[in-house]
Amino acid sequence: MTQSTTTLFRSYLIEEYHLTEEPYYKPVGDEIELFEAAYKQKIPLIFKGPTGCGKTRFVEYMSYRLGQTLTKVKQTGDDGAPRAGNIPLVTIACHEDLTSSDLVGRYLLEGDSTVWIDGPLTRAVKVGGICYLDEIVEARKDTTVLIHPLTDHRRILPVEKKGELLEAAEGFLLILSYNPGYQSALKDLKHSTRQRFVSIEFDYPPRDIEAEIVEHESGVDKDMAMQLAKLGEKVRNLREHGLGEGASTRLLIYAGKLISQGIAPRRACQVAVNWAVTDDPSVQKSIEELIGSIFE
Amino acid sequence: MAETSAPKIEEIRAELAKFPSSVLEEFEKALLKMPDNLTEPQLADWAGAGRDLAQKTVRSWEASAQYFKVSPSVLGFMPLNYFFKWTDCGQALCAESPTLAAAFFEASPGTMSKLRSRHIESWSGLGRSLYKGTWKSSTLACKFFQSSPVLLEHLSFPELERFASFLDSLSHRSYDLASECLTLGQGIFPLIGEDRAAFISLASTLVETGWREVKSFFEAGSRALPRVESGQRLRFLKMAEQLVKNGGTNIPGVMLEISKALSQIEPHQHAHILGLGEALMVHSALAVPEFIKACPQALEKVTMSQLEKWFSEGVGILEQNQDGGLAYFKMESARSEEILEGLSSGVEYGRIKDVMEMYCRAMAGADIKLAEAVDLVEKNIGWVSNEAPSTEGTTVFVPSLVDKYGSKSDNFSWYKVVSTHQVAHIEFGSFIFDFDTPSIFFTDRRQELEQQKVQMPEGSRQEMPEVDSESVEHAWVTDAQRFFDLFEDRKLALDIYTVVEDARLDARVKVEYPGIRLGYDLIQTSSLHERPEITDMPVREALVEFLVRLSLNQYNGIPAPEQFVDEAKEVGRIMQQVLRPEATIQDTAEASLRIYAIIAQIPNEEVPTEDWEDVDMDDTQNEEYQDPDDMEQLLQQISMGMEMEMRPDSEQEYDSTENVEFRGDFKPELVQMLTELRRQQKEGGSTDGEPISQEQLEELLKNSAELELQATQGELQESSNMMANNLMKEAGLDMPQSPEYGKGPLVHVDEDGGALEANEPQTFVYDEWDFRADDYKPRWCIVRQKTMAEGDPTYYSSTLTNYGGLVTQIRRQFEMMVPENFQKVRKLEDGEEIDIDDLIEAVVDRKTGASPSDKFYWRRNKVQRDVAVAFLLDTSASTAEAIDDAKKSPDDWDAPDDPVEYMVWLRTRRGEAMRRSYKRIIDVEKEAIVLLINALEAIGDLYGIYGFSGYGRENVEFYTIKDLDENFSERVKKRIDRVAPLHATRMGPAIRHTTYKLDKQDARTKLMFLISDGRPQDRGYSREGVEKEYAVHDTKMALDEAKAKGIQSFALTVDKNGHDYLKNMCDDMGYEVLDDIYELPSRLLYLYKKLTM
Repeated sequence: MTQSTTTLFRSYLIEEYHLTEEPYYKPVGDEIELFEAAYKQKIPLIFKGPTGCGKTRFVEYMSYRLGQTLTKVKQTGDDGAPRAGNIPLVTIACHEDLTSSDLVGRYLLEGDSTVWIDGPLTRAVKVGGICYLDEIVEARKDTTVLIHPLTDHRRILPVEKKGELLEAAEGFLLILSYNPGYQSALKDLKHSTRQRFVSIEFDYPPRDIEAEIVEHESGVDKDMAMQLAKLGEKVRNLREHGLGEGASTRLLIYAGKLISQGIAPRRACQVAVNWAVTDDPSVQKSIEELIGSIFE
Repeated sequence: MAETSAPKIEEIRAELAKFPSSVLEEFEKALLKMPDNLTEPQLADWAGAGRDLAQKTVRSWEASAQYFKVSPSVLGFMPLNYFFKWTDCGQALCAESPTLAAAFFEASPGTMSKLRSRHIESWSGLGRSLYKGTWKSSTLACKFFQSSPVLLEHLSFPELERFASFLDSLSHRSYDLASECLTLGQGIFPLIGEDRAAFISLASTLVETGWREVKSFFEAGSRALPRVESGQRLRFLKMAEQLVKNGGTNIPGVMLEISKALSQIEPHQHAHILGLGEALMVHSALAVPEFIKACPQALEKVTMSQLEKWFSEGVGILEQNQDGGLAYFKMESARSEEILEGLSSGVEYGRIKDVMEMYCRAMAGADIKLAEAVDLVEKNIGWVSNEAPSTEGTTVFVPSLVDKYGSKSDNFSWYKVVSTHQVAHIEFGSFIFDFDTPSIFFTDRRQELEQQKVQMPEGSRQEMPEVDSESVEHAWVTDAQRFFDLFEDRKLALDIYTVVEDARLDARVKVEYPGIRLGYDLIQTSSLHERPEITDMPVREALVEFLVRLSLNQYNGIPAPEQFVDEAKEVGRIMQQVLRPEATIQDTAEASLRIYAIIAQIPNEEVPTEDWEDVDMDDTQNEEYQDPDDMEQLLQQISMGMEMEMRPDSEQEYDSTENVEFRGDFKPELVQMLTELRRQQKEGGSTDGEPISQEQLEELLKNSAELELQATQGELQESSNMMANNLMKEAGLDMPQSPEYGKGPLVHVDEDGGALEANEPQTFVYDEWDFRADDYKPRWCIVRQKTMAEGDPTYYSSTLTNYGGLVTQIRRQFEMMVPENFQKVRKLEDGEEIDIDDLIEAVVDRKTGASPSDKFYWRRNKVQRDVAVAFLLDTSASTAEAIDDAKKSPDDWDAPDDPVEYMVWLRTRRGEAMRRSYKRIIDVEKEAIVLLINALEAIGDLYGIYGFSGYGRENVEFYTIKDLDENFSERVKKRIDRVAPLHATRMGPAIRHTTYKLDKQDARTKLMFLISDGRPQDRGYSREGVEKEYAVHDTKMALDEAKAKGIQSFALTVDKNGHDYLKNMCDDMGYEVLDDIYELPSRLLYLYKKLTM
């Protein structure tokens, strides 16, 4: 009887996903200017930085921001009014089994015939979106070479199985991210790949800015945010001394969120920071003492 | 009456004259001394007895002479009737042996003074009983008589009787021994006091069980007993006796050890310890000495009642497992240490080092190290206290043990607060004082004062040649030094500076780290209670103490001299300025300047007890501070120096107040200097200005109030010179080396020596499994990691040439392994691509009506080869066996235990090897390695090759031929050439070390190949030197540990008898016994291939 079911989830086509609200981003340096300049000149970018320092958030922020400022790619919304903020953002998390078909597309069977399905990269190329390949070093080397023609002046994507060459649409930009911290010599980007990009280095923000971010994202008060930022800073001092990675801003925000939900600060930091960053009992004990010193 | 007897005496005299003259002489002398109240017949009897003696046998005149000689004095001790009884005894003895009688008489005067007259007969009987008619027995009996006076001084007669009977029974075994014991007895009985009876009874017992030990028992007794609390000596001896009865051996040695242990324990605790020992006796006599020996060490950590808990735990283990219990009480078991540690409330540096070091690093954000304060003192660069925490800029030094509080957590908290305070020095910039940087809360006066000081040379300054400001610029090296140069009384200035800075840091820490505030407050409060009485101090010291108390949060009722209450309030108010979180070290300096100005102008006089007033300080830190009007003038005075003539005579020299313990030593000048030196070292000399010279350094050291160089001028020069040298050295070193560095390589450690420590670089300590005790022996073996020396690289290539065909064949086989890594996996539901064959099949199925399979995708599965393998080569001396001799049972190979013999043995073996032209086991092992490397290089697996041998648990040598992370190179080739047999096979530690190395690798498959030629054996690698299983069990345990870490092990041996122990050792792990040693190279490669697929 019912005409339509209630949609319980929101689903987008890959190329139609874009941000509708401005994500919170607090710039630390000149990364916004750099990004804008690179985007205008169609220079692909690599973001280097430890996990949870805001690389992904920055891409989201920039895709929204550019959508707002660039009048070039204006479209009309359903209501006919011009709608901004519509640079699609295609995010692909790379893993070691990621094949070129996963990126470009493949034939699938449908009934008696095969159907070609575009991969996410192909879609981004077609619509002129920002394609963000997260943790690129995880991908296999034969996969990474696929992006080479897209990153130089040619801006083309060969789709061999269909015998096509796709030219990237105007707004297309390729962005890679990787974390130079934990990769071993095995997992390094080839020079032929990395030298096609401009690199922006990210690190955890200084204490004041980080506190501001934590305060904004988690809803704790200023003092608590400051304490969390202090904890983050101190734990990061242990990088290379027992910790592979310091506590990320993301973890600090998690801790802050737990605290604002009424969890005791020491406990919140224990679960969100200490146990998250390490399994080594003696390092855990050290951080435990640190947390004990900072929080009452 | 005199007439009648006179001729009789004359008669006797005539008879005596027939004997050697001494008899008559003694008679005449004695006659004169004989008491007057003797009747003639009595005298005649006496003389007659002497004559009879002389006439008894040929030599008995000597006895007679002695008899006459001692008679007068003996008579003085006893009534006449006893005197004749005594004479009779002598006569009787003389009948047996005149020498004996002579000795008896000779000893009598000394003895009689201590002997009751009625015991005379018994006494002579004792001597008599020792005499068995032989020459040796007579010597002993004589000696007994001679010793009697001394012995009786300390023994009662019944005791002497027992002692004599002991001697008698001992003499059945050996007269010499009995005689020696007799001599020793004279020395020992005075020492043991009341417990002689027990001692003698123990000695008698010993005669029954092990008479050879008796002498050393006497010797041990004389050394051991004084160490035991006097009331407990009897118990001690009883315990020793029990031990003997329970089959203990080497009792004298045990007694010495036990008593030594007891001497390290408070005497009042001896009773308790012995009581526990007695209780333990019921369970195991053997464990008793071990327990007592462990007590001093245990009591350092725990209290007596906690020790009892540890003890009863041990008894429990003992009941289940004798060996386990024994190891427990020897402290050679991990469980024992754990329990002790658990019971102890003290916190040891070693236990917290890792955690606290990381904590400090996190806090300071620099590469901070944590070390014991003792280490800093040993450097001799200016720090002297072993206990006081401190820092020299890069390392935080803390005491070795904290046992101030009753609970572990409180003690740990103390450690934490102490470390936090030291780190705060670094974190909040105590050492980055800059003379020219302005302070925040004060008007800066430093520069001004420095100028005035230069312009106004006065007092002592006049002695110096005219100084212009140029040269003054160079008079200081560090800013701290420049600052302290402003003050005349550096010590006072430093003390004020220290209090103010510590107060600043404490306040800052509490703001920055609210979590530690509580612990901090507690320790501050307890420090406050430990402060010395302020009213005993002269004024200046009292005012500094006033600040110390204020800094420890005492705000109310701080005593101050009545006359100077205003000054006290003023300095307090100045100090409170720096308690604000924004305050910097420059504020500390400015505050110190002002406080100094106020305090220095007050004469340092004693204040009568009634002239003190309690002062309350309010929290004034948030008030803006303004210099009062007279401050200007006061500050002027600093630059003018003290006006000595205005000082009253009653003034005392200023002396520092006690340090606040938890704050430790603060040495700003030295630390800045050291930091500067280090910086210069790192930057290779001078970036700005001249490098610091030794002279400048010595100048600083001499002037600084931070050093206590109180000595004559010459010594001062010497010690500052040495310290300057040390400082230079310290700065040259990047990181502090352990001071024990340089211990020789072959230190012999006793097998019973207990746990070892790895003090040198490249040494590692590992536990060892004791299967009888069912527990680890903690820190039992030292593995010394060395890189194999380099030899001739042609060995490698010539081996390859010799194997010719096999090499290419192997290499090809291995290369074929590589492509197998990328496997195409078909028939998947989802995958990379559609497999056209499978698809066609599916379509056909469908058309024909069969149910089609939807698995027609394929995927290239990346089977990444991710192997790390370590080959562990047995290079013990047994591999020097010629292969043809290898039939000989390997058990024939037995290295002597004695180190000297061992070296001789080793040399002969080596000599043999030199003469050999035939192949040894090691040669085949080496060839196998060459082929292996060749093959492994083809597939690119991560591999390491190590050799091991060693002598004893403290010298397990671990040679790196190729390290896991090392690339194959010419050097590796050269090293293979030098692999040579040496020493023994202690497999356990070598396996553990390899495990440690493999564990660090990040590989999916980890393998350990153990290539050996026989069972594990080494000096002391067995229980009591006989049980070979011990080594096998330890090796098995080591392999199990490796397995637990995800390392697969495989043992390959060429020992044909290998099956018996390998079966136990490797259990469920793979092993193989090679029948033909020449198969080793090819077999090894085959196995490798099989295992890593």
